[in-house]
Amino acid sequence: MKIKTLDSHLKGTLQAFYESWSVKRANCYLGLDFEALRQTLAEIKDDAIARQDVLLDRFEEQARRHGSRVLRARDGDEANRLVLEILEKHGARKIVKGKSMVSEETRLNHFLLRHGVEPRETDLGEWIIQLAAMSPTHMVMPAIHLTRQGVARIFSKHLGREISAEIPALVRVAREELRREILESPAGLTGANALIAENGSVMVVTNEGNGRLVATAPPVHIVLASTEKVLPSTADALLLLKILTKSATGQPISSYVSFIAGPHRTEQYIILLDNHRSELRSDAKFREVLRCIKCSACLNVCPVYQVVGGEEFSHVYMGGIGSLLTAWIHGLAESKDLAELCMGCHRCDAVCSTKIPIANLVVALKERLVRATGKRFWKKVALDGVMGHPLLNRGTFLAGRAAGPLLRKKGYARGLPARLARYDRFRALPAPAPRSLSGRFGKVKRSLRKKTPATKGRVTLFAGCLIQHVYPEVGLAALRVLARLGYDVVLGPGTCCGFPPWNSGHSASARRAFRYVLKRIKGEGPVITLCPTCTTMLAQGGPDLVMRAEAGRRRSRRAGGRQARDVRRFAERIVTFSQFLARHEKEALQRLLSRGGPGKKVTYHDSCHQKYVLEASEDSRTLLRMAPGSELVEMTGPASCCGFGGAFSVDHPEVAESILEDKLAAVAASGADIVALDCPGCLLQIRGGCARSGQAVEIRHTAEILAEALRED
Amino acid sequence: MVTPSLVDRFIAGAVSAGAEIFRAPDLRAALDAAARLIEDESIRTILASPSLRKAAEEAGLDVRLPEGTADIAAAEAGIVQADFGAAETGTLVRLDSGDEEKLLWTLPSLCVCLLECRTIVPDLQSLAGVLSGHLARTGRPGPQVSFVTGPSRTADIECQLAIGVQGPARLVIGLIEGQGP
Repeated sequence: MKIKTLDSHLKGTLQAFYESWSVKRANCYLGLDFEALRQTLAEIKDDAIARQDVLLDRFEEQARRHGSRVLRARDGDEANRLVLEILEKHGARKIVKGKSMVSEETRLNHFLLRHGVEPRETDLGEWIIQLAAMSPTHMVMPAIHLTRQGVARIFSKHLGREISAEIPALVRVAREELRREILESPAGLTGANALIAENGSVMVVTNEGNGRLVATAPPVHIVLASTEKVLPSTADALLLLKILTKSATGQPISSYVSFIAGPHRTEQYIILLDNHRSELRSDAKFREVLRCIKCSACLNVCPVYQVVGGEEFSHVYMGGIGSLLTAWIHGLAESKDLAELCMGCHRCDAVCSTKIPIANLVVALKERLVRATGKRFWKKVALDGVMGHPLLNRGTFLAGRAAGPLLRKKGYARGLPARLARYDRFRALPAPAPRSLSGRFGKVKRSLRKKTPATKGRVTLFAGCLIQHVYPEVGLAALRVLARLGYDVVLGPGTCCGFPPWNSGHSASARRAFRYVLKRIKGEGPVITLCPTCTTMLAQGGPDLVMRAEAGRRRSRRAGGRQARDVRRFAERIVTFSQFLARHEKEALQRLLSRGGPGKKVTYHDSCHQKYVLEASEDSRTLLRMAPGSELVEMTGPASCCGFGGAFSVDHPEVAESILEDKLAAVAASGADIVALDCPGCLLQIRGGCARSGQAVEIRHTAEILAEALRED
Repeated sequence: MVTPSLVDRFIAGAVSAGAEIFRAPDLRAALDAAARLIEDESIRTILASPSLRKAAEEAGLDVRLPEGTADIAAAEAGIVQADFGAAETGTLVRLDSGDEEKLLWTLPSLCVCLLECRTIVPDLQSLAGVLSGHLARTGRPGPQVSFVTGPSRTADIECQLAIGVQGPARLVIGLIEGQGP
């Protein structure tokens, strides 16, 4: 599927929104313990999900006591029919609506129009979207993809008069028009941010105040809420509120919060919609998705969302979390395109208000998708074939190396078939190195051993397939540093760690690749990696795959236990190069580094897994500051993604290119001579991008920078 | 005894949410200040919560009680009173008893809200018990609770902040320092 990326104006709007939101959000949480808050909220939600049936009954009983009518709907169609029946009973041909993502989920507007009822959105963003016959592209900012000129055109067309494209004028028009609509309407519909079981009240949060107008002014008020919104108590709802607005808009609280118990005027109806949530609730793996409070923080930080927007990256719900909700609510098949747009960078996990492990759940969803809908051809070849089969993996690179003189031009691939031009256009792809890391390792190691005896024991270096075949100099640099520190460095297998197939849901191939590595790294002592993504796979993804496979096999408990213990021990040995040095060898390394030297500006690029999974970016910065003659300068957005994402940049080269563009601009603006990083994937992407755009900047792995700074002995 | 810091924190929260603040020693002085503010704006139609009407008239304000939704929508200013303030966020808390009261807070472009300093609590969580008790009461109309923090706002067009999209464009909070008459 070819994805349309945003034009520079819209990309700029999203970028500006992201930047201002990040600052405001950070300020809101100043002095608060976000981790503790979200942990508590996650526990409250888990408990409420586990006891949902009891809580919903209690809510219903309490709401009835207040005179509300509570109705249950199994699916979207039933909910829509209930709304229509209520409106018909009250003779209403029109209904005003507060913002309700659940009504988007059931396509209520569409349904009502077909049955002769006019729905009118009253949230400014939703109203714009409705007039333009579009769908929301952000859960909190539905019309974020439109410019003021676009909005003025939409209003002018609707009202039959020229409306100025100034924001205050547009807001004034909305105020007048929407107020008239609300006050004249016989019925109003709102969503709910929480249903409070202990007293049968509904919490509605808005900034504009339309929610409270829609709930108060018309005689009939309908609440359309999904079942997972139920919480035990008012105190629980207050905690949710405390987190929701900070995460959603970076406000300490929204302008208006209403708790409504019972009807204001004639009637209040509360429709509780299940829509396959009970199936999701009974799925042990995916149940956590129901903790989502629709704050959209995950979307705001998503590098893919930032360049493709919500038109491409949504079904009804958006982004990675959207793929998970969609898989249940609208069906597995509908979630496929969304899931494939998730790179697995884990930024969302860091900001999720209820600690949903979104990135890993999307991988689990991809696994189900692969089982249910099959695999893409190129992925069968590349992920199952080349990466999932260690021997084929080696063979492919051997062939590439043999053909090297034909393929290589200054280290980059040339003469690629026209079909591959999409992948090569924005970043030059590297050719395999003339000699692999394993081919050069022994000789270099022997010469180093002559100078420095190995006094500190043995470490295993797991370099990964890119360094083994494409960037062997990175592996040799790491060897130099470790050997000089007095380690006996043995080289692990130069095959794939299994991450690319794992991240695409090809779990069998991923497991095979991981097991191959597991079997070939024997003994004890640290296993040092040169790639944060390999680290994540070897320490987390791979062990999880093996444990799950073991759990599914009928074996003696003792054998299963032994296997689990072995895998756990292996996982504990995995450490990245910079983590290992910064945490164990800082002083010793300092003594080995030369002093002074020509000053070069170095800027550090945080690779996604280094920062968001391993939380080891600061370790690298510590090491880089120690390197003589290098001055560490920060680029804007050092932790912005480079757009590589392994298989992702093959699936979606246009998206990868758009993300890379911003990174290259930040690199250029930093004025740095060297970009330091810790991931060979980012190295490929950023170096290739610089080569294509003619940026004269060196891209180096931290290991290379340290190796060059070693004193001559 | 309310510590000054609680009031100061409330003011900081409310101001950063876009509210304006004035302080007065008692209810009468607060209404006098409201009268001056309203006069400066040359506002003619002013509605007040029933509980404030008498005192407002004594302060020389030409106020009426609301008579239905259309009447409230046509008013230029509403004078209301909050039951509590939450310092952390500068939030006004109202335990509503009717829809007209709620609309009076929301429809006029200028909302003047009086708040007694002694009712300011550290944060909304401190009110959980009170709110929960209020929401459990029965009767018609059903119990409501409103939190209002700053004026009505939106950033739905190009993420630019705009004030007064549906509710008031100005929220002026009159803090009453004493116990009130």
